[in-house]
Amino acid sequence: MQCENTNINLLKANDFVADIIKKEMANKGTLLINITSSAGSGKTTLMQKTAEKLKDKITMAVMVGDLETERDADRIRETGIQALQIVTGGICHLEAQMVHQVLDQFDLASIDLLFIENVGNLVCPSSFDLGEDYRVTLMATTEGDDKPKKYPKMFLTSDMMLVSKADLLPYVPFSVEAVTKDAREVNHELEVLQISALSEEGVDEWCEWLLAKIKQKKDNA
Amino acid sequence: MHETSIVNSIMRTLEQEFEIEKLNRLKAIHLKVGILSNIEPRLLHNAYSAYHITNPGYHHVEMHIESTSLKIHCEFCDYITDVEKYRFICNQCGKPSKNVIQGEEMLIHKVEFED
Repeated sequence: MQCENTNINLLKANDFVADIIKKEMANKGTLLINITSSAGSGKTTLMQKTAEKLKDKITMAVMVGDLETERDADRIRETGIQALQIVTGGICHLEAQMVHQVLDQFDLASIDLLFIENVGNLVCPSSFDLGEDYRVTLMATTEGDDKPKKYPKMFLTSDMMLVSKADLLPYVPFSVEAVTKDAREVNHELEVLQISALSEEGVDEWCEWLLAKIKQKKDNA
Repeated sequence: MHETSIVNSIMRTLEQEFEIEKLNRLKAIHLKVGILSNIEPRLLHNAYSAYHITNPGYHHVEMHIESTSLKIHCEFCDYITDVEKYRFICNQCGKPSKNVIQGEEMLIHKVEFED
């Protein structure tokens, strides 16, 4: 019997495509942000609000992954920016290949900021690198503050946690302090920002963070 | 769904790595998956069984899955900590660390072929 030690990464095929995306984005100077969260934590509403605030300053576009329907892309398009729906047909996460396939539908040279709104799920999307510069995870106050320890990989691989639906804090048993402590035990470098797309709390800080990262990316291009 | 994607990815990867002649002699696949990989061995075995329905050529190939625990290496004091309750903090000096040295793997660790 022959035996070969291979030590090949199971996601080698995905990571190979993610590297291609990364190089393309670096060439064009487009900032790529992967937005993840559970279903219903306010990703699309945040995309709408971000578009409303930034569309006169920069060119922004969104690709959004869902199991079915064009609903999210329709909502984002209403704000006047380009949005493209990736229907995964039952797959619970986006893979680099799915992103790469639709990339040529965007005129990247003229886009400063491209968001990937991932499928709402804190498990599988954490394993798939999409070639993003930053991974931002939303954690809604209505979800309960115990999520970072339940889904550690997502918080370990994220750069920022947005505590969303902050306007509901007076009405729900959710401790920002507890969620921040748990999340930072998993990832001490995680940036944390409290935000509400409805009351606009934290939205200016969020937009400033994005503009600073866009500038950094352009300077390095 | 996640496990199905992973089984497809494993088989695609092996088909890229090895010649058909060699794959025909494939006997066993050994995977190493960390506790942080979000792979549940039992579900992966089920997904692999389902894979055989559409790809009967591999039905005799065994899949072995080894799970690995979570360890971090401290950059400050060089100590290796077994991470418990997802506290990524050095047990010796108390400093936080993201330097995961074991527990994130998703590896096709070893493959066996018939002579």
